[in-house]
Amino acid sequence: MNNTAYFPGCSLKAEASDYERSAAAVMEALGQPLEELERWTCCGTVYSLTDDDLMHQLASVRNLIRAQECGAEEIVTLCSMCFNTLKRSKVFIEQDAARLETVNAFMDEEPDYEGGIEVFHLLEILRDQVGFESIEGRVTRPLSGLRVAPYYGCTLLRPREIGIDEPDTPMILQDFIRTLWATPVEFAFQAECCGTYQIVDTPEMVLEKSHRILSSAMRAGAEVMVTSCPLCMHNLRLCYEELRSSLPEKRELSIVYWTQLAAIAFEVETGELPASMDKLLEGLPTSMELVR
Amino acid sequence: MSIPSENTIRIYVMGSAYEVPRGLTIMDAMEHAGWRFTRGAGCRSGFCGACSTVYRHEGDYRLRFVLACQTEAEDGMYLVQLPFTPAPRVSYTLAALNPDENVLLQHYPEIARCVSCNTCTKACPQDIEVMDYVQAALRGDIAQTASLSFDCIQCGLCSMRCPADIKHYHMAQMARRVYGRYMSPITEHLEERIVEIEKGVYAEEVDALVKMTRGELEEIYAARVVE
Amino acid sequence: MREAIARVEATRPARLQAGPPPAMTPAEREKVLAEFHPDYKAEKKRELGIGVSAGNVVPNEVADMLEAHLLVDPAKIDLSRVDYDVDVLIIGGGGAGTVAAIFAHQEGIPAENILIVTKLRHGDCNSTMAQGGIQAADRPEDSPAIHYIDVMGGGHYENKPELVQAMVDDGPEIIRWHEELGVMYDKENGEYMEAHGGGTSRKRMHSCKDYTGKAIFNPIRDEARNLGIPTLEFSPVIELLLDVEGKAAGAITYNLETGEYRVIRAKATVLATGGFGRMHIQNFPTTNHYGATADGLVIAYRAGAKLLDMDSVQYHPTGVAYPSAILGQLATEKLRSQGAVPINADGEAFVYPLEPRDVEAAAIIRECWSREKGIETATGVRGVWLDTPMIDEIHGEGTIKDWLAAMWTMWNRHGIDITKDPALVYPTLHYQNGGVEIEADGETSVPGLFAGGEVEGGVHGKNRLMGNSLLGYNVFGRRAGIAAAKWAKKKKSKIKTLSLQHAVDFEQQLADAGIETDLQSPMLLPDYRSKSVLERSLGRFI
Repeated sequence: MNNTAYFPGCSLKAEASDYERSAAAVMEALGQPLEELERWTCCGTVYSLTDDDLMHQLASVRNLIRAQECGAEEIVTLCSMCFNTLKRSKVFIEQDAARLETVNAFMDEEPDYEGGIEVFHLLEILRDQVGFESIEGRVTRPLSGLRVAPYYGCTLLRPREIGIDEPDTPMILQDFIRTLWATPVEFAFQAECCGTYQIVDTPEMVLEKSHRILSSAMRAGAEVMVTSCPLCMHNLRLCYEELRSSLPEKRELSIVYWTQLAAIAFEVETGELPASMDKLLEGLPTSMELVR
Repeated sequence: MSIPSENTIRIYVMGSAYEVPRGLTIMDAMEHAGWRFTRGAGCRSGFCGACSTVYRHEGDYRLRFVLACQTEAEDGMYLVQLPFTPAPRVSYTLAALNPDENVLLQHYPEIARCVSCNTCTKACPQDIEVMDYVQAALRGDIAQTASLSFDCIQCGLCSMRCPADIKHYHMAQMARRVYGRYMSPITEHLEERIVEIEKGVYAEEVDALVKMTRGELEEIYAARVVE
Repeated sequence: MREAIARVEATRPARLQAGPPPAMTPAEREKVLAEFHPDYKAEKKRELGIGVSAGNVVPNEVADMLEAHLLVDPAKIDLSRVDYDVDVLIIGGGGAGTVAAIFAHQEGIPAENILIVTKLRHGDCNSTMAQGGIQAADRPEDSPAIHYIDVMGGGHYENKPELVQAMVDDGPEIIRWHEELGVMYDKENGEYMEAHGGGTSRKRMHSCKDYTGKAIFNPIRDEARNLGIPTLEFSPVIELLLDVEGKAAGAITYNLETGEYRVIRAKATVLATGGFGRMHIQNFPTTNHYGATADGLVIAYRAGAKLLDMDSVQYHPTGVAYPSAILGQLATEKLRSQGAVPINADGEAFVYPLEPRDVEAAAIIRECWSREKGIETATGVRGVWLDTPMIDEIHGEGTIKDWLAAMWTMWNRHGIDITKDPALVYPTLHYQNGGVEIEADGETSVPGLFAGGEVEGGVHGKNRLMGNSLLGYNVFGRRAGIAAAKWAKKKKSKIKTLSLQHAVDFEQQLADAGIETDLQSPMLLPDYRSKSVLERSLGRFI
């Protein structure tokens, strides 16, 4: 891994702490521990679409400055939304020297942002820098036979300029699932939006979307669904509980972070897993059992 | 008005010019000029936040934020005081709340509107990293919020300047109380001593002291062994 | 000044090695006090000529205020129209008053039947400015009895014993209450970091860095706000009300911004108006807040409350002597309890750094004005060095910035770095040792009138120790609040016809005693406008 600063984002320190714990353990196991950025601030949460409102770029740019200050070349995130916001901000601000100058002039208490700090999602780092093959080499408990649905949501893939894979035919999660010896289960709504913050004001819309996503995955035979976004996780788990009776299959679906899946296969700290996941794992031999 | 001499400076209070001696605080300079405060003066020692003052130097593009009682008046200052901040605080029952990582966000949801512009930090006369503690609160780090905001005197300038309408200092006050009650360890010997006093362990000894003459007390005092 | 500082630096290593000079013997203490403490100048005090404590000796400035005309002619006040009718009225929105309000509420008085009135903002008080700490005997090495001895010795054995007993017994419980309120006390490995203060024989000073006053008071105020206790700000009391039976019955407030008066009827009244620093006794600068003008003493005295120990004044040994912009502001005793030592112009340590405050102050005055070993500033102020860099030398680099941040900031705003250079200090007017005499539950000699905090007299005798004012306001604010609530629930507290006859009588006593004065009281606020302005002043248009 290059000189990389890890940007957690707020959710990872609160509701999504299992995501961070499992990711930290996985990266430790790969010999590339996450180094947390100092004095990071919220990414801005949702990328601002107003072209003339530079105020909403400050949060992201300030984090790029923090990375620059500590001599990092790139920022890596776990949360898809943080990734999306930071990367789009970076692109937007670096596209136009006038914008960068305005933002730098406003933040006169900070050193100028000079541009060039790259923003990556951890999945990209694993694919392009670490290499999926070295992940496969670290697996001690192969997840053979486990049927895993890759749920991308939107912010990892769209807009195209910043996405980590082809927006319509992404493969990165499937490839990753295969490196853990599990079986990817493709389904129609894997890049459908979960409904995001509409959960607050129009939960019925989020329920409808989630129903579609969950049913589609279950019909395709998934036992597990992985996501990389704390907000997707929040919505999917909430809706899964609400919709249980109306879902097509009696069988349970375990929704976990993709890093938790890797942590299981590496036999390191996974963070808390849903009870149904523990049940699924009962049938999978551990490394000790394999040796015997 | 005479021209400022070596020993005097010219300040502008809400636009009006006054000539005052050099070396006074802004507060003393305004009083020297004839102002008598009801608002805008409190402890006069930098602990109460009553004398929040905003000024601009002639020719300077930026506003500056200070406490009038702690800052020396300088030639060419354009001054105004902001002795009150209309910032509603949220009532809560400390003993009954759940001190989890969402507690600050639940009571002050507008902290999520922070865009990290850092204007609050620039407005703080106590040099507190205000934005950093709001950010810590946002990610549920109560200990960090409490520790970064420890020196806050609740003058309100942060909240006056915030484009996101956050009530920083009220939220931080709550964070410090939540930290103090729920996260700061309890010292065991305090409880033990309270029980002892309730049981009257020291009653006889203190009662005896209460009845002593001055001479007897003087003897005991002189024989004290200082730890 | 750099040359003078060099002399302090030159002797520092040897002084660090040798430790501070020894404490004085009782006889040495008496001598330095008698010769140099401002309290011992007979010509600066006089006997009160009128009132219930006539014959008591008090500073001239206090006598002037106690023997001044009323601020308002009682005939102008319409007592038939009551603006607020409450069970418990609390006069003063500082530490003692706010504590009293919370405990009156806990004792069963609904919030809406309590009213705090205060001259400036809720929290404009000395309580919030305290820096060093609060005493409470909670360590196994310590006990309430040892605390008692320290307090009595510090107060020259003239404290009211039952008040001291109440204070030392309640101490640990007060700390626990603060813990429940979420006060962030300094702790290390789960234990309080307790230090010495001047005159203590055990380490029992609990602190919140050097913002102890603020860090304790702000949660207390926050709690009162959570409880919804009503507060009337910018409304000082200008006269107490009695009823025709002579019981305390409320007060008249004056709105500083609109000039209106208000009539408040109350079954019980708690006086928590603080002290008198802004009267600048003997022209000393002061550490006190803007409103510390002894209003409570004045109105209580007119209503017949006895005073105690008003002859003694506390001068804090170390006020700022330079720069002049912050002259007289507090340099906390915690600086000395963490190792800083007063040093004279020759670089010598001349006094044990933790004598009781009156002794320490007298020793510094002697150094400056008798032994001529003070340091004189360009404006003619004399002081001695407080060798603050010793603190980091003893406890490690960063101690000052971490644990004495308020002090570092105060001087740093004026370009002085106390981690590198010593600070120039001189005694400053700090505390009203005496006040309105109380009993152990805050009762005064006027039925239905209770008092707590700096306005009360008797707890500290002739000299208060560091850390006992924060404890005192909590203990006696609490006791006064509880006693006031209990009183208000009794039948006999029922208010008969409201009266200001005591104020009318007071004017008559002034006349009868032949006291001629232009002064009116209470003073409410000091006037710092310059002579040149006052000479030409036509008064305000409102």
